[in-house]
Amino acid sequence: MKTFLLSLAALLAIAASAPAADKIRVSSFSTILTEIAQLVGGDRVDVTGHVKPGIDPHEFEPKPEDLKIIGNAQLVLLSAKHMESYVGKLKEATGTKGNLVEVGDNFASLKMKSEKDPDKVIEDPHWWHSIANTEKAVKVVRDELTKISPADGKTFADNAANYLAKLDELQKWVKSELAKLPRDKRKLVTSHDAFQYFARDNGFTIYPIEGISSADQPSSKKVGDIISVIKSQGVKAIFPESIENPKVLQEITRETGVKTAPELYADGLGEGDASTYIGMYKHNVTTIVDALK
Amino acid sequence: MRGSPLVRALLAFLIIASLGWPLWQLTRPEEAAATAPAPAAAPEKKAIELHLTFTTVPKSFVVRHLENDVWKETAPQADMDKSVTLEYPPEGVDLQFHIEWPADVPVSAMRAQLTDPVGDTHDKSLWGKGTTDDVLTFP
Repeated sequence: MKTFLLSLAALLAIAASAPAADKIRVSSFSTILTEIAQLVGGDRVDVTGHVKPGIDPHEFEPKPEDLKIIGNAQLVLLSAKHMESYVGKLKEATGTKGNLVEVGDNFASLKMKSEKDPDKVIEDPHWWHSIANTEKAVKVVRDELTKISPADGKTFADNAANYLAKLDELQKWVKSELAKLPRDKRKLVTSHDAFQYFARDNGFTIYPIEGISSADQPSSKKVGDIISVIKSQGVKAIFPESIENPKVLQEITRETGVKTAPELYADGLGEGDASTYIGMYKHNVTTIVDALK
Repeated sequence: MRGSPLVRALLAFLIIASLGWPLWQLTRPEEAAATAPAPAAAPEKKAIELHLTFTTVPKSFVVRHLENDVWKETAPQADMDKSVTLEYPPEGVDLQFHIEWPADVPVSAMRAQLTDPVGDTHDKSLWGKGTTDDVLTFP
């Protein structure tokens, strides 16, 4: 009897843990892709987001515990376009048998100056600031999950369709909100050159203040150029991503009288309202329209 | 060297202090008044021509520019023209269209032709049923 009860308990324990074990194990190195995988996969996936909201993905380096988790993942999602400088290390160190998908490689790139070497031109990795790119990313994740579990293909297709409909609504909302802002006022002075995809889709010109971070002091010529642009173009606000070098910012605001707008989410999801892609996008658009109108 | 060391120290201090004021004036950070940047001159208002063609005559429509109604029709026809005056910068304009289509008709289309201040004509279309809210960018 005792043996029977022990066997029954063991069977029950296995049964209880079975659904979790059946879930597709997904590792994501982008807050945007983490949300997409959760929304498309629903309760059929177990997603680990290695890059948390608010963490700078440019500076992120995987820790040993990250490598352990991705070694066991069936699908590894990367933003790509050189955002993850450690991708070679991931492949080598983990020997993952899972499918490593560089999502951003599925759509065309814009070019930008390298922050480390301004003479070098690199692919702009901030593709999610184009809603059309994010819609493509949803389809990539849907197809990759379906390859792993064809039996769940309909669930993934339905979940993806629901999210794509919401992204279509977001696109309409963005067009409607930006229609409040004259096209000749669509000039973004930002601390970090992250909004080129947004600019291309919505008729903006970007003037990045490269070097506003404490680690990278911009030249006085660069600051002078930005001041000239603000004055000559009648720019009403600048958008610092993080005020790490207040001296530069103070000099620009003192010389031009321009106001400092609230922070934009440049490198992924944030907290509160900006903890979802749709919330993050609405925050950025509302902030830009309110500051430049 | 004659005189009390205290007096000499006081003299030296006074000399340095008297140089301090002009030195500070020369090297202090400039306290430019933080005046708001002069707003860029608003683009001049110019006349443009709008020509709208509907595959199904709508119940009503409104055309908006920068949150202002520039054309409102409550009994439209299939083919309509209007001259509208608005700011038309070289970067172009966004026009918002709100269209109420008749009930129980399939998806209908509207063609918008805009002739800009220099006489170039630009052509855009949109489709919808029920209520359509959309933005067309010209050129």
